[in-house]
Order: sequence, then structure tokens, then C-alpha cells
Amino acid sequence: MGDGIKKITDLEWEVPVGFTPGMRVPGRFFLSESLRKNLEPGAIQQLANVATMPGIVKNALAMPDIHWGYGFPIGGVAAFDISTGVISPGGVGFDINCGVRLLATPLKVPDLQNRRELVERLYQAVPTGVGAKADLRLSGRELEEMMLAGARWAVEHGYGVPGDIARCEEQGSMKGADTASVSQKARQRGFPQSGTLGSGNHFLEIQEVKEIYDQKAATLFGVSRGQVAVMIHCGSRGLGHQVCTDHLRNLEAATKKYGIKLPDRQLACAPITSPEGKAYFGGMAAAANYAWANRQMITDLTRKVLVKLYGIKYEQMPLVYDVAHNVAKMEVHRVDGKEMQVCVHRKGATRAFGPGSPDLPPEFAETGQPVIIPGSMGTPSFLLRGTAVAMEKTFGSTCHGAGRVTSRTQAKKDVRGKDIREQLAREGIIVRAPNEASIAEEAPQVYKPSEEVVRVVDALGISRLVAKLVPLGVIKG
Amino acid sequence: MSYEVLDHTADVKFRVRGRTLADAFAEAARAICETMTPNCTPAGVERRIEVESDDPGSLLADFLSEILYLSDAGSIAFCSFEVEIHGNRLTALCRGEEFRREKHGGGAEIKGISYSGLSIYREGESYVLEIIADV
Repeated sequence: MGDGIKKITDLEWEVPVGFTPGMRVPGRFFLSESLRKNLEPGAIQQLANVATMPGIVKNALAMPDIHWGYGFPIGGVAAFDISTGVISPGGVGFDINCGVRLLATPLKVPDLQNRRELVERLYQAVPTGVGAKADLRLSGRELEEMMLAGARWAVEHGYGVPGDIARCEEQGSMKGADTASVSQKARQRGFPQSGTLGSGNHFLEIQEVKEIYDQKAATLFGVSRGQVAVMIHCGSRGLGHQVCTDHLRNLEAATKKYGIKLPDRQLACAPITSPEGKAYFGGMAAAANYAWANRQMITDLTRKVLVKLYGIKYEQMPLVYDVAHNVAKMEVHRVDGKEMQVCVHRKGATRAFGPGSPDLPPEFAETGQPVIIPGSMGTPSFLLRGTAVAMEKTFGSTCHGAGRVTSRTQAKKDVRGKDIREQLAREGIIVRAPNEASIAEEAPQVYKPSEEVVRVVDALGISRLVAKLVPLGVIKG
Repeated sequence: MSYEVLDHTADVKFRVRGRTLADAFAEAARAICETMTPNCTPAGVERRIEVESDDPGSLLADFLSEILYLSDAGSIAFCSFEVEIHGNRLTALCRGEEFRREKHGGGAEIKGISYSGLSIYREGESYVLEIIADV
């Protein structure tokens, strides 16, 4: 651990003001002793860098899956006063509204006799990997509407059921989207990619609900032990990447224009109230909506495969919830006893709003929102719920995943994709990917243990465990 | 000209060497494209890029971002680059072929070029570039 880091409790650490020049507030991060050994000094430096940004409120925060990224650390959360603070693509990332959703099914594991065929059919139905294109060709107007209405657009056009919308963060449709802030280049990339998974750590996984920790919440969320579920992890594809690239360039110029001093160019930012800041927010919200529509359309493809293969009904597969883990949002939080409007950046962090939050559908008034934490390929994923502690400590945020510990380059040296595929097959997990290298890069051992990361957030109380899901089959790009 | 892929936990880091700055930029483009769309041979597809930026670092990021755009929007696998740099202005002729999943599939999609960790320096007679790309 770097010099000057202060231990607050067994799970909470502080990066004091002065760790790096220009810090306005302390940094806070959450880690257990066993996760500490993988903490990179670069990640702590990035957390300290975030604390130098104008208008930051209370603390620059990092969740237990903190690791070295670009701009913000991955697992980073920061709130900025909407009147004096800044907005930055470095706090969101290139994959705007990368996120996860969980789909329930009426199936049990013994129903999946032909599991290999299921995985193969899903792989054929959902375009994956570099260069993947959807069958659907959107018109200019359709893309425009999709960027404004997100998952709602998809449901209204037959790619889902009305109940899906309430089960998405922001009802799958973020307000403030401004399509004038989405370039022609971004649109060109968006046309053929709606309903495609992408590559890297994005996946579609068939899972079994293995354990229930909180029966009341599990029942309310619609999951039960032994049930088969589907998890979908992907984002805004080339459209979102281009929106980030375009605005990063604009905001670099704005940083100079507004005389903002930053320790890292990737933190390029502008006041939230400035034309440049508003343009980024509008473009980002449009890309976030594209991502929600994208996950909705993949959900539709998935449901159709399951309907055909198992004779179940489309309506028997309700959405448990859909969360974003790379996004900036305008939210109201209590800070030092007073309500305050802030722009919360979550970069590799998940919203975890607690009971009674006005943004949640009424059915979650007592439990808090569902929080979905994907494992890596071959390791368990978790369903949790948001808490009042998260509202107090982390601007209603928690971790987003396991977090890598080994680089992709090292992973390919250490393990062979074929061995991993065979090892997973012996454990009953079928993996379908375009090649062996992409399996090696995402091998289970290159990630921190997901169990330990969620144990820490549960022990801290910034979200509470509801259920554990284990993989049965994975398709990835 | 050469490039190496260095360890970076979450993303991909490249270190590229070239005899001239333009050579190094061309090699950086090749590194990016080999990661995304391997097994490419130049076969009939050409695109010209013109970029002007405030400083050499931005020029590199803007050039590589333009390649990501052309490759994704046009479904092209690129593999050969002729680059000319005059001050903060760059022109490049990029050659490749139409993307085919059977031939070029299975690579890692690069989402963007980060300004974090971007550096350009001299080492003896060579120009060296370091780039972190989000995958």
C-alpha cells in the first residue's frame, strides 16, 4: 500500500488531502486485507487525481473492485455539485452505459438436457465479437427515437413486454438525451450494431440460482433456488465509443478554456452548466439510451431462442433488473444533513439505491433496488440489493464486478484457451466464443474472486446479498 | 519499426518504435489493427485520413481514433499505413480489406484511445510511442 494511506476501519481506507497536489477532498476506498495485495499504486494515484477536480463533494470514492483504469480508477465514484462542479468522460469511460441485466425463466436445471444446443443457438442468434452486425437495419429516424427513448423504444417496437421498462434503472430511458450532441460518425457506427453483444468481457450467460441469502428480497425480485436465469452484459457499442471520443476532444479544449488544472488529460472536463458540459451530458445520455435498447433487443433474441427450444412463453421470462455501471447521472443526495443536487459519476460502479428512494418502482420501496454483479466467465455472479448505508456513504453506489488482477497479455501466456474451455466443460459450463484466445483472456483466474468482492460490500452494508448464481453456459465475443 | 504489447491490468498497452515519428505512428496504427482484426492482408480497400490537432499526443490519439471509426463504420480490416506528418497535421493512406468474420474474427474490440499513459519520446535515434487502449 502506498505511503500516507490511512486505515479507517478493517474495510475502509483514506487517501488524505495532500497525497497528490491539488486534492480538494480526501479519497476513500473499501478493501479487505485479502484484496489489498492486488491493489495497484496506479489505481490509488487515479483516485487521488479525481479528488483534485472542481466541485467534488465529500470524497473521491472507490469500490472494492478498484483497479487501474484511465482517468478515474475502475470502481471509481465521484459526485460533483451541479452548480460549481464538472462533468468528465474520464468518469464514465468509452463504453457508456455498459451494464448488466438479469432475466428470470420458469426453467430448472434438469429442463436443460440439451444445454450445448441452447448455447449454440444463442451464439447463432446474438451477434458477438468484432465486426458483428445485427439483422435489423435502423432508419435515421428510428435511431434518433432509440437514442431518446432507450429500452422504451425497443419495447414499443415489439422487442419486449411493458413490464421490462419498470425493471430498468432510469426505466431504461435516461432524461436529458440530446441527439444533436451525437455526431454523424457515432450514428454510422450505431446503425448496424443495435442488438449486438461486442467483445472483451461482454457476455451472455445461462445461470442457475444456486443460493438464496435473503428470501424476502429474492421472492420480490422474482428469483428462487434452482431456477435458470440469463445474464446479459454489454454496452453502447461503437456509437457510445464514438460519443466519448468526440466529446473527450471537445472537453480537452474546454478544460483549457475554463482554466481547469488536472493531473491527467483523460480527466478532461467542463463545468456541468457550460455548453461543453451540457453537450457531453446530452450525448452521453443518448448513448446510454442506445445501450438500454441494445440490451433489450438482445433480451428479445434470447427469449425467442428459449421459447423455441423449451416451449415456454415469452411472458414467462420477466426481467429481474437492468443496471448501468459506466454512467454520469443527475441525482439528489443528502450531504451533511442537507439535500444536494449532484452529478454522480460511476465508472465501473453500480447504483445501489436503498429502501424508499423516490427513483425506484414502488415494489422495491422496502428492499431497495436490485443490484446485479457479474462474475467472470466460470465464476459466480450475485444479486444484491441497495441500502440506506450506500445512500450515506457512497452516493448510493456499490461495486460492479470482480475486477481484473492479470493483464490480457499475461493471461494468454499463463493459460491456454483450450485448457480453460475443457476445464470449464468438466465443471459443466459450456463456453462458446469465436476463438481460444478470447477464452484465455477472460479465464476465471485473471479476476479477483467475485465472492470476496461481494463479501466486502455486504459487510460494509453498501449493498446486501440476495442470491448467488452460477454459470451453466456462456457465449462471448 | 516494431511494437510490443505491455502488461496493463484492465486495458491494452502498446510500446511502439519507429525511425521517424511518421513511421512510429504507422506502426501504432498497425498494432491497434492487428489487435482488433488479425490476419489482414492489403487487398483493394483504401482510405485516406487527414487530422490536425493541438499537439503530437492529441495528433496520435485523433489519428488512431479515426482508424477505429473507419474500421468499425466501414467494416474494414486495415493493415498497412503510409503516414506523413507536418507539424501538427497528419495525412495517412490506410490499406486493408473488407472485414470477414471467418478470416479476421476473434480479435479484441478497441473502444477508445486513452490520454492517460499516452506518451511520445526519443530513445537514441528512434521515436517511441506508448499508448493505452480500452478493450
